[in-house]
Amino acid sequence: MQVRKTFIGISRLLSYIRVAHTQNARCFVSWNQPKTSDWKKAVSEAEKIVGYPTSFMSLRCLLSDELANVALQVRKLVGTKHPLLKTARGFLDNGKHSLQTRGLMILLISKAAGAKSENMENVDHSADEMVSGIYPSQRQLAEITEMINTANLVHRGVVNLDTLKDTDGSLKDMEFGNKIAVLSGDFLLTSASTGLAELRNTKVVELVSMAIGDMMSAEFTSLRDRNGQGVLPEGVTFSCWERQTFLQSGSLLSRGCRSAMELAGHNEQVQMAAEEFGKNIAYARQMNEDLLPFANLGVDPNGILSSAPVIRYAEVHGPQSIDTFSGHEKIIATIIRDNETIEWCKEKCRDYGRKAITALDSFEPSEAKSALVNIVQATTAFKPVKS
Amino acid sequence: MYLKHSCHKTKKESLCTAKVRSHGLPYLGQRFKGRQAEKDLNSPSTHPYTLVENHLNGITCRIKQDLKAIDHELLHVSEYYFDGQGKLFRPMLIMLMAKAANFHETQMDRLLASQEKIAMIAEMIHTASLMHDDVIDAADSRRGKPSINQVWGQRKAIIGGDFVMAMASIELARIRNEDVVSVVAQITEDLVRGEFMQLGSKEREEERFTHYLNKSFKKTASLLANSCKAVAILGQCDEGVAEVAFEYGKNIGISFQLIDDLLDFTSCDHVMGKPTAADLKLGLATAPVLFAAKKYPELNAMIMRRFTEEGDVETARQLVAKSDGVAETRELAQNHSREAVRQIHTLTNSKYTTALERVADMVLSRNK
Repeated sequence: MQVRKTFIGISRLLSYIRVAHTQNARCFVSWNQPKTSDWKKAVSEAEKIVGYPTSFMSLRCLLSDELANVALQVRKLVGTKHPLLKTARGFLDNGKHSLQTRGLMILLISKAAGAKSENMENVDHSADEMVSGIYPSQRQLAEITEMINTANLVHRGVVNLDTLKDTDGSLKDMEFGNKIAVLSGDFLLTSASTGLAELRNTKVVELVSMAIGDMMSAEFTSLRDRNGQGVLPEGVTFSCWERQTFLQSGSLLSRGCRSAMELAGHNEQVQMAAEEFGKNIAYARQMNEDLLPFANLGVDPNGILSSAPVIRYAEVHGPQSIDTFSGHEKIIATIIRDNETIEWCKEKCRDYGRKAITALDSFEPSEAKSALVNIVQATTAFKPVKS
Repeated sequence: MYLKHSCHKTKKESLCTAKVRSHGLPYLGQRFKGRQAEKDLNSPSTHPYTLVENHLNGITCRIKQDLKAIDHELLHVSEYYFDGQGKLFRPMLIMLMAKAANFHETQMDRLLASQEKIAMIAEMIHTASLMHDDVIDAADSRRGKPSINQVWGQRKAIIGGDFVMAMASIELARIRNEDVVSVVAQITEDLVRGEFMQLGSKEREEERFTHYLNKSFKKTASLLANSCKAVAILGQCDEGVAEVAFEYGKNIGISFQLIDDLLDFTSCDHVMGKPTAADLKLGLATAPVLFAAKKYPELNAMIMRRFTEEGDVETARQLVAKSDGVAETRELAQNHSREAVRQIHTLTNSKYTTALERVADMVLSRNK
């Protein structure tokens, strides 16, 4: 009964929802930019390999009283401009594979690494059986990483009330939206915590908690001022971009991959390889996304000042070479004129791709491994985006 | 009626072989060979805070070391409420329970490093929840200074709270005990469920009180109950003792919350450090109001609309004052404190069990 009510509430919600204005621009690795057909094909094949569409991950979370409550509350936000509406839409809008790719990677690498190793004193799998080549604990971990990512998105949608403009809507609406955003994010995070506790592996708890800490730190280390406006500090280098990307998305994916290996009792070497893979695919993915506004001018250029090409340009030519007060189009045009920067970024992306694939060298050839390689290649190939 | 464990039960393994996880060695203390602990409840030697003074001193510093922030602003945000202005009630109680449980189990006076960690983790979790509460309640101030959201904005307050929570989880994992991880994870789940419970309200009056007590458990008592249980587990105590620790923490927590809710009606601003009738203004119906509604049914409509109509807050306040709501709340708190004491009597007598009895009393007599 509760399940049915939840679904009715949510489908009604979807029909009312409008995309709301996002106060604070760029979503690092929102991964819902227009995709190439290569990418879609790679993901679709991969989902068959792991046994089910990973979009199901969002559904399980929805089947709870708390989130049914949240759905009802979020309806009150319709017509306001609170960012939670946009996040909710993305979260509920399954079938686009947009928010779930993290989990898919973790499932794939779990399968690619294969069955538990013989050295098993500290891992008890007596109750576990692999389904489609993946342990239940690894599946649970994949879901947990998605929950954490969503929680972070939701919390980053909390709005600073003292910087509201008239166009943002009423204070009361924003306060209410914040309240719901805080509570739903908290609910997702504690669901992740209890899920982690159920895995009965303190090493994994430690790794994933470190990833959460990193993601939260990213909010403070981002190249933005208090109002969310991009800034380019003196002496900015490309390593700033790498660090920020690692904190924001690389940490969760790399530690998630490593944790999946730990759960199956694989040795240190395999764990490090998985971690290396996760980190580099995250870098590659972010670089790919950052390059999109420079290839396809129709893409939302929010957050352009923290994008890799801009940072690289500023590193080479000095931060004063970018007029941060001019419009996005001007900045994009400046960079495009300097072909070197774009090419450098593309090559960097391919480099991340190579490192990711190399990290998989120690894994036996398999369907899952090929799927991972395909995804890497789809991320680092730069063909014209079909509009 | 209570059980008294005899002193000649077999001593557990000595300090050297005791299984202490990860960091450090257990603190070496004196051994009590069958000496009865002083029963004088007013003696300074059983004063709760004094007994664990050594461990409490510097706990805030040690917590700050665990907040491994890589950025200055994040450091300031996460440290904001670890300023030494908090009462450290929770760490004090948890450490006392640890010592009492250890003495019960081993007749030794000691506190394990892992148990001290739990006390720190509990304080971190509590503080993280305060950071979120301030945003949810749109608070202006706390403990006499601007609230964290006033200083850094809502977003950084929330994300800072998440960061503190993550650091607590890392320390928890490093204790390397899966049972304890589960028990502490339960706290975070309860905290959030408690907040959700506060969002909704029960339509039927009979359900309201149960709902309120349940919510009070989740929001306040669960932290104490589960932390006490965790330290008992770490002290190698059996399930029975862990249950006693849990029940003690739970009853103290509920008593604490009831008194808190009562003080909201009886106290005035400068004593509490936060504005009073705060609960009513937030639309919350706490024990004094729920009791008063039995005598003044007109309160029920106000409860349902969460005191949003003009004059509701003032009317409710007056009706509560006229009724026995406050007295009935105090009586309920006393019952819970008494139950906590009854639980602690099942453990071997020591100055720590005596101190825990005093805590049950302190909770009732606080005025802020």
